[in-house]
Amino acid sequence: MSEHHITPLRTYLIIAASLLFLSGVTVWVSYIDLGSFNIVLAMFVATVKASLVAFFFMHLLWDDKKNLIMFLMSLMFFGIFVTITMLDTAFRGDLGLNPETKDPINKRAAFYDTLPLTDTHGHPVDEHSGKHDEDKDHH
Amino acid sequence: MSENMKQNYLNHPKGIMSWLLTLDHKRIGLMYLVSGILFFFLGGLLALVMRFELAAPGNDIISNEIYNNAYTLHGAIMIFLFIIPAIPGALGNILLPLMVGAKDVAFPRLNLASFYIYSFGALFALYTIINGGVDTGWTFYTPYSTQSSSNVVPMTLGIFIIGFSSILTGLNFIATVHKMRIPGLTWYKLPLFVWALYGTSLVQITATPVLAITMVLLMLERFLGIGIFDPALGGDPVLYQHFFWFYSHPAVYIMILPAFGIISEIIPVHSRKKIWGYKFIAYSTLSIAFIGFLVWGHHMFTSGQSVFSQIVFSFITYFVGIPTGVKIFSWILTMYKGQVSFTPPMFYALAFLFLFTIGGLTGIFLGAVALDIHLHDTYFVVAHFHYVMQGGTIVAFLGGLHHWWPKSFGVMYNQTIANIAALGVFIGFNGTFFPQFLLGLRGMPRRYATYDEQFVELHSYSTFWSGILGISIFIAVMNLFWSFIKRNKVDPGSNPWGGMTLEWTHTSSPPHPHNFEEEPVLQHGPYDYDKVIVQKTYKK
Ligand code: HEM
Ligand SMILES: [Cu+2]
Repeated sequence: MSEHHITPLRTYLIIAASLLFLSGVTVWVSYIDLGSFNIVLAMFVATVKASLVAFFFMHLLWDDKKNLIMFLMSLMFFGIFVTITMLDTAFRGDLGLNPETKDPINKRAAFYDTLPLTDTHGHPVDEHSGKHDEDKDHH
Repeated sequence: MSENMKQNYLNHPKGIMSWLLTLDHKRIGLMYLVSGILFFFLGGLLALVMRFELAAPGNDIISNEIYNNAYTLHGAIMIFLFIIPAIPGALGNILLPLMVGAKDVAFPRLNLASFYIYSFGALFALYTIINGGVDTGWTFYTPYSTQSSSNVVPMTLGIFIIGFSSILTGLNFIATVHKMRIPGLTWYKLPLFVWALYGTSLVQITATPVLAITMVLLMLERFLGIGIFDPALGGDPVLYQHFFWFYSHPAVYIMILPAFGIISEIIPVHSRKKIWGYKFIAYSTLSIAFIGFLVWGHHMFTSGQSVFSQIVFSFITYFVGIPTGVKIFSWILTMYKGQVSFTPPMFYALAFLFLFTIGGLTGIFLGAVALDIHLHDTYFVVAHFHYVMQGGTIVAFLGGLHHWWPKSFGVMYNQTIANIAALGVFIGFNGTFFPQFLLGLRGMPRRYATYDEQFVELHSYSTFWSGILGISIFIAVMNLFWSFIKRNKVDPGSNPWGGMTLEWTHTSSPPHPHNFEEEPVLQHGPYDYDKVIVQKTYKK
């Protein structure tokens, strides 16, 4: 805290180059199909980049360590949020016992096909004409 | 009395501009107090309208549509415009620098900016009211909130803006606790109210950004249909609830932690006894703040989240009870063998102990998935959160106001009237909300303007007592303001309850514009009633 840290220009340039390189990596890995791990990998690369910015460009590395703790806390809370939310989205539907309702969060799931089409007020809509459908029994 | 002692932050400097541009934490605190109480009354008025509608089944006074607006505005105003900003903003601002022996908070200009950001956000809320209200409930659940034609956008924008004020205040308080303490005032010598504000501030800076993101996503969904919450576009409406409650469960600790802090000050002072388990109380504050981030899914037991998350969230929810119980028992043990005096602040603290315990325990009931499936969205939940938010936070806030009123404003209220009003609040509160537990158990759903014939008796009890509650709160607050208008002054050097923290021992009442005439020297800990004798001094 006492004296101001002066970073050599070289460091800045190296960091800038790494950031550009990592952007390339993000694009590259998006072409590889890793299933749900694509998002994990993309977030990981993004986190590394954000950390480089915080540590070098924003001088966190040379700052009072309390600021580092605050920064790590924010990462931790973000991690908690994403992980626990995934406990929901990854396990949606009767603990996976019933194949009919498993993974309703998945767009391709059968769940969506069985729902009647409705307008924004919840009134049934005919799939073909788009008009309101008075007799909804035949669905 | 020296000339210097006659000068205080209320009368020096003078003029309206000296208030509007003030950097003095005490003046900013007072401005928060006044605006907070105005919103409290506005929200309270809406509550009474709803209660009178519910006195009998059928739409007797207002239509269903107006009722929907009334409960939404009531909840949003009470939470986002009163409890969350105004309690740290008012009591926290006035007391924190005094308690750590500082001249002001770490960033006085930022502090004023927080107040103006809050006011700016509040304008949007007022606009919402004038422009016909909003009917989604204070939780703004999708998909309804992306479709409702009411003022969802102005209201959420207002909440978004107020969130920044909350973040900046939190930041300011954290910096103040770290950097502005006088030498010798180590962490374990800090008053527990300071610990509570510190814990609150940590939650404010870590949780509130998520609220801001949630509100932005909601607006993007409305305007651009980005499809993050809309299943037709591959989104997930339950994701909205994850976002919302990731903020809003920690936010209930933004609401209750300052109240815990107030109670930790009132009880030792009015029992003249050293606080029991100082470190336990201090650390339980931090652990509540942390566990509070892990339990949000208990609001979503019926929303279709995975059974696996239900189990995890239910399990973790029970853990909140441990640090909370630690606090309750520490307060009770503090009173044990103390010299309890039944002053108005102490009455409120005792009321708090009863009411908050009921609120917290029913929270544990609701944390049990199997039970919550039945009780969710019934009056049982309504009763639970009023026991914690009104019976807990607002009762503690009233207690804190009565405790620090002579300190902050140099005037003393009529203590008999204050005690009677406190009793009225306690009885009126239980009369209003206890029947609601029974209503909920019998299946009365929340957020309806009408109901089945079978609920009429309990509902009309609730309405009757809500009138008593409203009148009692009104009397309590007016009694305070009356002392100010009548200028029922206390001696600037007085210490009416015999407090040991710096604001009682080293400042005048009301405090000097710069708080302390010289930097205070710490002579004893905040609750050393076993070591030092402090006289209660109270002269007119
Ligand atoms: C021991 C601590 C607590 C536990 C275990 C707990 C648990 C719960 C649970 C499980 C619910 C969801 C009920 C449902 O919707 O079916 C709930 C609702 C609620 N609680 Fe608590 N709670 C606790 C303390 C608090 C505190 C301290 C506050 C505020 C000061 C609070 C405010 C609320 C609010 C506002 C709701 C209703 C939200 C809504 O749906 O509008 N709770 N609580
Ligand atoms: Cu909760």
